[in-house]
Amino acid sequence: MGFCLALSAVSASAPTTAAEPWNIPHEKQVVLKGRVTDALCHLKGRCASDCGGGKRQLGLVLADGAFRLVAKSNIDFAGAIADLIGYCGREIEADGLLIENPAVTLFFVQGIRTDASAPFTPAERFKTEWEARHGKAQEWWRADPEANRLIAEDGPLGIKGLAPKPRP
Amino acid sequence: MKRTLIAAALLAFAWPAAAQTPAAGKRVQVSGEIVDTWCAVTGIMFGLGTAHHQCAVWCAVGGIPVAIRDKDGQFYMVLRIENEDVSVAAPKIVKIQTHQVTVDGELFERDGVKYLLVDKVADDKGIVNLTHDEHGVVPFGE
Repeated sequence: MGFCLALSAVSASAPTTAAEPWNIPHEKQVVLKGRVTDALCHLKGRCASDCGGGKRQLGLVLADGAFRLVAKSNIDFAGAIADLIGYCGREIEADGLLIENPAVTLFFVQGIRTDASAPFTPAERFKTEWEARHGKAQEWWRADPEANRLIAEDGPLGIKGLAPKPRP
Repeated sequence: MKRTLIAAALLAFAWPAAAQTPAAGKRVQVSGEIVDTWCAVTGIMFGLGTAHHQCAVWCAVGGIPVAIRDKDGQFYMVLRIENEDVSVAAPKIVKIQTHQVTVDGELFERDGVKYLLVDKVADDKGIVNLTHDEHGVVPFGE
């Protein structure tokens, strides 16, 4: 009985979202509370003790058993692996936008915390870690050596010899 | 009462172990364009074909999940490709961004998402969706 009351108390005090809306169709501002897990482990049972060490897509297993893939962080063109991997196997609160598109459901995390009384930490570790490896850049995506190598190889349209029309 | 509480607590915390039980998905063959999920789903940046290829490379290198978008607009999130459990900036899949492919694999559907473990890329037609004449280079125009 006491256990049930305790669970009710937890679910009744849903944390307040501070996520910035992006006006994406089907978006909803939410705080998800769940355990950080790698998707391959959760679905297939193919597990690694470190959630894949940053090489696997990650998500949250919520208390009701639902799995929410975390697709994007607060950094342009970047996922949220750097923000989540340090919490592998641990419960967090993730503030962001849940996009329940009929074709696929995605979660865009904007802030993370483990202490419900603390403010959310912006989900921006990708940039910090990228800059530690490559140095400062205003637009990481245009300075990334791997992206630049691939784009130089096949061109910006992906087909060798095919170039965009000059801008008028 | 004490036993009931202990049983309830054990039940509540049993799910992490259950998640690690090996599971079998449905064998499928899927055809479609390799896309970066964020742009293709949200429509923030026109997310398809040659016009969006450069952005798709940026997003895939940045670790955004990559999917196969079929002709009906369904997305199949790629979690594994040809014996590699890598799905974050995986070189094998970054290299074929925007390509039209047919793959054989194992499908899991969970909570509004189709996840695909690709065993084999059975066919790769390269990039066939030529969208740049109409859209230019998206985003930024260059």
